[in-house]
Amino acid sequence: MTDGLWYKQAIIYQVHVRTYYDSNGDGIGDFAGLAQKLDYLQQLGTTAIWLMPFFPSPLRDDGYDISDYYSVHKSYGSLDDFKTFLNAAHQRDIRVIVELVLNHTSDQHPWFKESRSSRDNPRREWYVWSETDTPYRGTRIIFLDTEMSNWAWDPVSKAYYWHRFFTHQPDLNYDSPAVREEMWRVMKFWLDIGVDGFRLDAVPYLVEREGTNCENLPETHSVIKELRARLDADYPGRMLLAEANQWPADLCAYFGQEDEFHMAFHFPLMPRMFMGLKLEDRKPIVEILQQTPEIPSTCQWCLFLRNHDELTLEMVTDVERDYMYDAYAYDKTMRLNLGIRRRLAPLLDNDRKCIELMNGMLMSLPGTPIVYYGDEIGMGDNVFLGDRNGVRTPMQWNGGWNAGFSSADPESLYSPLILNPLFGYQAINVLSQQRSDHSLLSWMRRLIKVRKSTPVFGCGSIEFLQPANHRVLAYVRQLVNEKVLVVNNLSSAAQAVELDLRPYKGHLLIEMFGRNIFPRVGDLPYLLTMGPHQFYWFRLRRI
Amino acid sequence: MLSDDFVRQLINVGEVDLLVAVPTFNDAKTIGPVVQAVRLGLLKSFPRERAVLVNADGGSRDGSAQLALQASMTLPLNAATQSLRTFHTVTALSNNGTQASGSLPLLLATADLLRAKACAVVSPSEHVTPSWVERLLLPIYRQNFDLVAPLYRRHKFDGLLVKILLYPMMRAIWGKKIREPSATDFGFSGRLGASLFLKQEMWQADTGEIAEQLLLSLSAVMDGYPVCEVFLGPKDRGGQTTDLVPAMRQTVGTMFRFLDTGFARWQATQGPEAVPLQGAEQEVSCEPLRINPYRMHGMFQSGVTDLQPVLSSILTQKTLADLTACAALGKDVFHFPDELWARTVYEFAAAYHKAVISRDHIIQALAPVYRGKVYEFLITNRHAAAQEIEARIEALCVAFERLKPYLLQLWNGHGGGAP
Repeated sequence: MTDGLWYKQAIIYQVHVRTYYDSNGDGIGDFAGLAQKLDYLQQLGTTAIWLMPFFPSPLRDDGYDISDYYSVHKSYGSLDDFKTFLNAAHQRDIRVIVELVLNHTSDQHPWFKESRSSRDNPRREWYVWSETDTPYRGTRIIFLDTEMSNWAWDPVSKAYYWHRFFTHQPDLNYDSPAVREEMWRVMKFWLDIGVDGFRLDAVPYLVEREGTNCENLPETHSVIKELRARLDADYPGRMLLAEANQWPADLCAYFGQEDEFHMAFHFPLMPRMFMGLKLEDRKPIVEILQQTPEIPSTCQWCLFLRNHDELTLEMVTDVERDYMYDAYAYDKTMRLNLGIRRRLAPLLDNDRKCIELMNGMLMSLPGTPIVYYGDEIGMGDNVFLGDRNGVRTPMQWNGGWNAGFSSADPESLYSPLILNPLFGYQAINVLSQQRSDHSLLSWMRRLIKVRKSTPVFGCGSIEFLQPANHRVLAYVRQLVNEKVLVVNNLSSAAQAVELDLRPYKGHLLIEMFGRNIFPRVGDLPYLLTMGPHQFYWFRLRRI
Repeated sequence: MLSDDFVRQLINVGEVDLLVAVPTFNDAKTIGPVVQAVRLGLLKSFPRERAVLVNADGGSRDGSAQLALQASMTLPLNAATQSLRTFHTVTALSNNGTQASGSLPLLLATADLLRAKACAVVSPSEHVTPSWVERLLLPIYRQNFDLVAPLYRRHKFDGLLVKILLYPMMRAIWGKKIREPSATDFGFSGRLGASLFLKQEMWQADTGEIAEQLLLSLSAVMDGYPVCEVFLGPKDRGGQTTDLVPAMRQTVGTMFRFLDTGFARWQATQGPEAVPLQGAEQEVSCEPLRINPYRMHGMFQSGVTDLQPVLSSILTQKTLADLTACAALGKDVFHFPDELWARTVYEFAAAYHKAVISRDHIIQALAPVYRGKVYEFLITNRHAAAQEIEARIEALCVAFERLKPYLLQLWNGHGGGAP
């Protein structure tokens, strides 16, 4: 595999610099602090870091409302601090992916201030204005809990402006060549510094057209193609990752003919993994993957269990959504915007076996896995913090002062720590888990190490086995002659399963964690017995 | 009892919440739509529950079992039919593929192994709709009933064995107004099924398909399990046996057998209580039904005459005399009083209890006498409307209830025919 396809074998760690480590005692994480934790990330097995937006911002949407694309928010340090961090990451063979919000800016961005100031301003057309709020009727509202309309009245400009997210996040107008040129300049700025790629936020919504749902339009794809062409020409080997919360068929369009994104999040798969676990049935998982079209060979899915947003239930049916709410968010405080704002461990009731099984599937299904910061130690959440802030609390490094995150007064931290006896920092922290070979952290390290021991997981094909026991999800990953059999027991009870392995007759099964040999495949169905929520990874070798 | 292949299928199904059984025997014409209706019903009313459809086939030669499996895999995929879970269909040969016996033992064993909380048996009838699934399962699954008996929309002369014999006996003796104690569509709880499963001594070779629900009904009533009724719709007459004696063996024989085992219960039971009804009231339709009443009269007359020696060992002298007098009446002036019919039935029950002669002969001897009562019912009610029919049945039931002390007397050895 060429280095140009590095993202196919990556283990991505998603982090917000603000949450990770505070080096200067102001209660807010910063780049100098993040740089100090690179050894930890390297030991975990991370090969790429995805940084959430760190640009200057009024922080009304946790940094997704950008007011300056060419700098670093002063709370996180300086541009030089960022460069120091970037170099330190590269020295450890860790790539850095920067999140860029293309679709909209903060209403405090100078561009918007100019645009709204007058209808004759040169930047007037940089945003989407209208005399009325009737255009693009029928376009869905994304932040259902807070927004009533995709149009907002601007008293300064005496006109309406378009916003697919919060009112303070006006959409940029990608019909404007000047906007497109400026956003390329933004990307070029960071590419020149040395970042390895971009995670582009909210890409389906770049362009609007009357009579459509204003999502996934051909014109939006044209914008992406333009950016990709320039990237490939001037910065080969850099990567674009799409955030497009869409059904598989619409998602695949964002790969284009290998001329749009390199990677895209497989949003529909994620809730179905949780559903399959609760139902104890592989059906939702298998069905969505079987409905997922083939993608170009240089492209890759990004898989994830949780992230900084709510666990989105947009791409499920109403019946499925109701089930997920009842199964995982019985308390309505946990629900937000057609999703569930909880971290992985609380969602799974802190069941270690379930946490392991879900991470096992994350690391073995086709795609590049992303670990959300803190999930490697099983951090908890705080649904009472409002919006999605409950899953963005400070990283828990030890059981001491401020969980080792900051030396500041606890009251001055950007967010309260998790304090309850089950998930609080005294119980769940990196230091404690580093001292035990049997901790979740130690287990995650081993899991990632085994994952990285073969290119099959990142680049191989997948073929589902269909054992009669529906509680078992089994598949074979293959890359050229290398084959790995993955068997997952989705049930909370022990299971027996007979697998049809006749195509692999004569192969030995070698369990990949302990490297013990299992019986050779013969003519009869291969019987496996599995403990509750257990999974196996077997290398298939003909010896 | 369960074949290895079937057990393997059950292992793959695992624990379920709901089990729906569809017994078949050469039902190729209807089984496909019935399976799809069951599947749709489960998807609509129980989308989250773990369910299995069990096709207990009695050795069909028309591919019914294969058609059932096929139908369960070919539902159209749209929003209304997408399920959260894998849907299982398993097939088994009931009673080693002999249609003569029913599938209840297999179903009870399956329900027990799969720990099903609520079970339904649905006949492969063209009248089955998706709503039947909800009506049969919901009272058990969500409302804590243990037995759900059906109510059908029937022709006024349809199901007379139930109307004039089984229902009055159920009411009078067991104290429960279960209109259809012996039907082919019913629901039962896992715990009722498990309790009956343990009482294997109750099953006999002649407890066929017809009597399966009766067995459950009597078990439920005997052991105090909550029972309710639900209205389903039209009753399919296609699969019904027209052979009276085998039907009576299964139903009346079972009823009489339970009088033995359940004496302690029924002897203390007081006046009948209604069972809760879910759904619309029963309607009696007036669609034509071909019955030859005069043939009934002839068979009654010849039966009473030819079986005098047998009847004399079963019945008291008075009852036999009254019956003989009744048989002598002409077609146009025929009258078979309710009180006489009830008295006759009770004397037969007591004779069965004491086994004065072969129990099978006792059942066979009841058949012509029953035909006499049927003839009387037919001619009396030929122009009757639904409400009048109901009033007649009610009056008949009251006659049975009034004579219960007489049955107790016979049971305890006072009176009855010659030993």
